[in-house]
Amino acid sequence: MIPLETHGLTKHYGSLCAVDHLDLSIGNEIFGLLGPNGSGKTTTVLMLTTLLKPTKGSATVFGHDVEREAQEVRNLISYVPQDMAVDIKLTGRENVAFFAKLYGIPRRDETIDRVLWMMDLSERADDLVRTYSGGMRRRLELAQALVHEPKALFLDEPTIGLDVAARKKIWEHIRILKSRGMTVFVTTHYMDEAEHYCDRVAILDHGLVAAVESPSRLKGMLGKDLISARMSGRIGGNLPEGIECLGGKEDGEFVFSSEHASEKVPTLFRWLEEQGAVIHSLSVREPTFDDVFLALVGTGDEATGFDDRKFRTMLRRR
Amino acid sequence: MRDIFYYFERDMLRWLRGRFSVVSALVMPAAWLIFVGLALPTTFTENYIDFITPGILVLTMLGASLQGGSLLIFDKILGFLNKFLALPSSRESILLGKILFITIRGLIQATVIMLLALILGASFLNPASLALTYGILAILGVLLSSFSTAIALSLSDHDAYAAFNSMVSMPLFFTSSALMPYAVMPAWLSSIAYWNPVSYAIDAIRALQGGVLAWSRIGALALLSVVVVCISIRQFRKATL
Ligand SMILES: Nc1ncnc2c1ncn2[C@@H]1O[C@H](COP(=O)(O)OP(=O)(O)O)[C@@H](O)[C@H]1O
Ligand SMILES: [Mg+2]
Repeated sequence: MIPLETHGLTKHYGSLCAVDHLDLSIGNEIFGLLGPNGSGKTTTVLMLTTLLKPTKGSATVFGHDVEREAQEVRNLISYVPQDMAVDIKLTGRENVAFFAKLYGIPRRDETIDRVLWMMDLSERADDLVRTYSGGMRRRLELAQALVHEPKALFLDEPTIGLDVAARKKIWEHIRILKSRGMTVFVTTHYMDEAEHYCDRVAILDHGLVAAVESPSRLKGMLGKDLISARMSGRIGGNLPEGIECLGGKEDGEFVFSSEHASEKVPTLFRWLEEQGAVIHSLSVREPTFDDVFLALVGTGDEATGFDDRKFRTMLRRR
Repeated sequence: MRDIFYYFERDMLRWLRGRFSVVSALVMPAAWLIFVGLALPTTFTENYIDFITPGILVLTMLGASLQGGSLLIFDKILGFLNKFLALPSSRESILLGKILFITIRGLIQATVIMLLALILGASFLNPASLALTYGILAILGVLLSSFSTAIALSLSDHDAYAAFNSMVSMPLFFTSSALMPYAVMPAWLSSIAYWNPVSYAIDAIRALQGGVLAWSRIGALALLSVVVVCISIRQFRKATL
């Protein structure tokens, strides 16, 4: 039974298309939905967790349709929403106990102790959540979600607003869950997280999936090396043979790709000078996940000097 | 069924741990009783405390129930509701837990009024009619908290809820028989007041003071509660965001 499948899953809010014909098939893996703010991640999760009715299309969780068999779906999943929703006036243990009761867990106390321990919260379990850090609150939410041993876990931006150490800890826990056979569907807008921890990622842009692949293969699609340029001035026109532009980043870096990157540096340099650009630096480097994102989605910021729409998207053409 | 209690337990714990909210919930209705009961001129009855106490009891229930809807609004804004709706547990238990909590909290507040009224010289109740008074207040609480919680489910932010609350609570109170008997109301008001569900409860409690069980008023109130609860349950069952 396939843990998670969507067929043309679509959601309109009035005239706005928040999720556009999503086709995914997800196995026992950590599957990341990566996209900038407003790209439709939360909307997708809400539909998969039976909380929002799709406008068109369908989705199944272990073969159960999220609309027609919502109750069966809810029996199999746990969902941790984007907002950190734990009761600060209750203790950590009381927060978990509340969910354990609602799930009707047998051997409740044992289970509560176990999930608190799994999330490294045993020592602070009887303190009021008011005194918890952001990372601890997130882990407490995970503990709540785990009391009923779901087969699929949905996490909407589980690390948003946390510091680096807390993020790392959350992801390590997520990995353990996956290794125990849980399917984890997680959204994030942190590229480094998607790259390091997800088995596969779908890159979402304005409700459309731009790619579904493992992070390493996505990077591989950009070739071995890239040329990175820092420059000012407005340029346009046709790039020299064999060089393509992935786009410009917010920090003013422009990224070009070419099969033989280092050999093309002089050509690119000359061309840019002819265009009247003032070049500050030009270097060859390995592609990062940022570049993948740039190639697929762009910065969304057309104010950068380069008319990148013209050159972009070698990945899309493939 | 047990889930209703768990949702109730959560709200109760949270309420009891906010000491300020407990104190204010107990002091406010008492202040009402004292201001309205003692400050207003008593032209149409000799014992205004006896007359006004049912009105203040019902006002307390009304305020507590309508304010109770904001519990769901906060659950919604803060993301709790999303988590609850995604649970396998039945969705109407969210509603019924709220009704239980809001009603019981209202009854606790009503008890403060009752005690204070007795201290101030109210002479109206024997144990049997006291129990019936609680019963009537409970039915009113169920009706209004179910209504306010279902409304809260369909609203998206706290401002909208506050607007709803003030739009409903004041008119409901002032067009009821709380402050004066039907006999001294203008004709247009007395017919509105007669059909106002808040008056059903007030009239029924006043009738108890005279030793009369006003079945038609209690029945109407109970019937209305059942209808509103059923509609609210339907809303919760099919709730999406
Ligand atoms: N309830 C809603 N009504 C109208 N538009 C909405 C609603 N929820 C989300 N949107 C819009 O849908 C798009 C996708 O939102 P969302 O799924 O929350 O994105 P993300 O989680 O990726 O940040 C956004 O443009 C957002 O403004
Ligand atoms: Mg989101």
